Amino acid sequence: MQPENFYYDNKIVRNFGIATVIWGIIGMTVGLIVAIQLYSPGMNMGNQYTTFGRIRPLHTNAVIFAFVGNAIFMGVYYSLQRLLKARMFSDALSQIHFWGWQLIIVSAVITLPLGLTTSHEYAELEWPIDIAITLIWVVFGINMFGTIFKRRERHLYVAIWFYIATFVTIAVLHIVNSFELPVSAFKSYMVYAGVQDALVQWWYGHNAVAFFLTTPYLGMMYYFLPKMANRPIYSYKLSILHFWALIFIYIWAGPHHLLYTTLPGWAQSLGVAFSIMLLAPSWGGMINGLLTLRGAWDKVRDDVILKFMVVGLTAYGMATFEGPMLSLKQVNAIGHFTDWIIAHVHVGALGWNGFLTFAILYWLIPRIYKTQLYSKKMASFHFWIGTLGILFYAIPMYWAGFTQGLMLKEFTPEGILKYPAFLETTMRILPMHVMRSVGGGLYLLGVIVMAYNLCRTALQGKLVANEPAQAMPLPALSTTGHEETWHRVLERRPIQMMIAALLVILVGTFIELMPTLTISSNIPTIAAVKPYTPLELQGRDLYIREGCSNCHSQTVRPFRSETERYGEYSKAGEFVYDHPFLWGSKRTGPDLAREGGKYGNAWHYNHLMDPRLMSPGSIMPNYDWLLTQNLDTATTAAKIKAMRTLGVPYPEGYEKIANNDLSKQEKEIADNLYNDHIKVKNNKEIVALIAYLQRLGTDIKASKTAAK
Amino acid sequence: MFKQFTEHISGAQGYLLFSLGIFLVFFIVVAILLFRLRKQHVDHMRNLPLKDSHGESLNSYNL
Repeated sequence: MQPENFYYDNKIVRNFGIATVIWGIIGMTVGLIVAIQLYSPGMNMGNQYTTFGRIRPLHTNAVIFAFVGNAIFMGVYYSLQRLLKARMFSDALSQIHFWGWQLIIVSAVITLPLGLTTSHEYAELEWPIDIAITLIWVVFGINMFGTIFKRRERHLYVAIWFYIATFVTIAVLHIVNSFELPVSAFKSYMVYAGVQDALVQWWYGHNAVAFFLTTPYLGMMYYFLPKMANRPIYSYKLSILHFWALIFIYIWAGPHHLLYTTLPGWAQSLGVAFSIMLLAPSWGGMINGLLTLRGAWDKVRDDVILKFMVVGLTAYGMATFEGPMLSLKQVNAIGHFTDWIIAHVHVGALGWNGFLTFAILYWLIPRIYKTQLYSKKMASFHFWIGTLGILFYAIPMYWAGFTQGLMLKEFTPEGILKYPAFLETTMRILPMHVMRSVGGGLYLLGVIVMAYNLCRTALQGKLVANEPAQAMPLPALSTTGHEETWHRVLERRPIQMMIAALLVILVGTFIELMPTLTISSNIPTIAAVKPYTPLELQGRDLYIREGCSNCHSQTVRPFRSETERYGEYSKAGEFVYDHPFLWGSKRTGPDLAREGGKYGNAWHYNHLMDPRLMSPGSIMPNYDWLLTQNLDTATTAAKIKAMRTLGVPYPEGYEKIANNDLSKQEKEIADNLYNDHIKVKNNKEIVALIAYLQRLGTDIKASKTAAK
Repeated sequence: MFKQFTEHISGAQGYLLFSLGIFLVFFIVVAILLFRLRKQHVDHMRNLPLKDSHGESLNSYNL
């Protein structure tokens, strides 16, 4: 049999590499800006498009889907070709994948600052972009499986299983969490409501971490670390166990994001149990990576690439130890909603995803340009300033998290809250926030130095766009061969591998999601809870547009410290008309679930115009544009109709007269404000937002009053 | 200290045990598969990344 000659496509790898670096710098710069906004609200630059609530999602989307996303495709396109000894299936599909993905990112950069958002964390993009993501993801899948089918290596290395699991699980997650009913070109309502929506979102959110930030990176670790250290992975058997156990367990862990909420108790417990079990496969993977370097630790001293890998793996170990700890209810009670979580995710993002990406870039760019790295010194500088950046980021955030978490729970000996004003706890941690932005700045500086270093490297070499390679074609399988074990058979059957991975992730998905989505007794209804009035509904959409839920939760947990501070704890039945749910995941400001009736309309008006008028020292940005912009009431009918389709009991034909009710309520609020010497036209956006804020949590209060 | 955690696990115990049971069965199946793998195959698989047909001369490009 003659060996076949073919070429690896390095150009597509290079393109994804460039995109990784550019979007990395952009995403991290936006991150730095939002970090500074948290102690200096003026950094929102006085306009709505760069305000925290709108660009914090831009930061998360840019670093997750643009920086990490492009890095995944860079690593997959490089390693897949070589592990399969084949060029990518189709150059055209590679191009469509590349440019399609960049277009999706650009559309995110445009729509998120405009306030076009679903409010689902890490899934904020509106429905047309969701469709585009689906199509491009399918293109990626076809290109990957096409390459697998024309491979010249019979068995699929463990890295490729991780890529297959990533592909199939992200597809499932994205589709299930994108069931939206379009209202207009860039506005939709989630099909699920309240607690069901929360469960779907955090099943998605947690597994986006698992299958976008973890499994593809583990696959890349299993390919690139042996290459970098020039020795095989420590234990191949451990990698098999790692793979199956990790994808099985991860999918169950989502509910640990919803502890002490109105999610059914058994679902919370299930999430906790599996989160703790997750420690085993996670550490199995980390240990497998670190032990690959056994006997090569002397190399780590000289080779900056391996240094990045070691710190990256260590960060992975720390983050995956911390995750199970944070999912213990008692720890979660303090850590949840605080900066502790921010520290936790950034140890993973900056350490694990960031450092692995940098290591791969430093390793790969000189190779595809057939040259050496321009400056080892600069790479070494990057390593140290990056590590320092992570420390300066994480330590102050842990400190801030503990401080605020404990302060909020503290009672005086007389039994009253020691710090009843939420703002007091915020002001205490501002110095830590300043330090955190210094850490983030150091880390970003390192990335900029890397970008320069890689540019100079590329300039001094020449891209081998098509790298020649040679391999024997796959011979036909002999039918009389020796007996094989199942797993060995599975390793050469990509489709069966994908189906097996799909089944494994569906077990947890079904057991966990189905009862809450289908059994109505899991969500006890409350007679007093009524649909939102048209004005409140419009106000709620403004709340979503401005991204208020990035800083304010809407769920009171059943702790005395919370019921004393906010009011009665939340019930599942309160959220049955909430498409989407707006519980939030972070309390940079206080919870708003019981905000209705707490202050007068005038307070809200002044507070939204300039929060510091009512709460001196507040870090909330001014929302003065709400005072001047007119509410778009042309959408009311479509919104009411869509809500009715989703099961909200608006009477038939109500959409035709909804704007009359809306005007009436606008006038009431404007008249009320006039009594407090505030002149505002009825049709301004602020009136609608005040209507919504004054409604929050009042259904329960009303039912109490009626009962008396 | 662990007592307080186990006591706080409320709701359908059966659900929990059933799920853990599924995982245990799954884990044992994978473990059996692992024990049955041949050493020769394992060695072949773990060396795959190091056996790129071409371009390995690039390995000398040490940073």
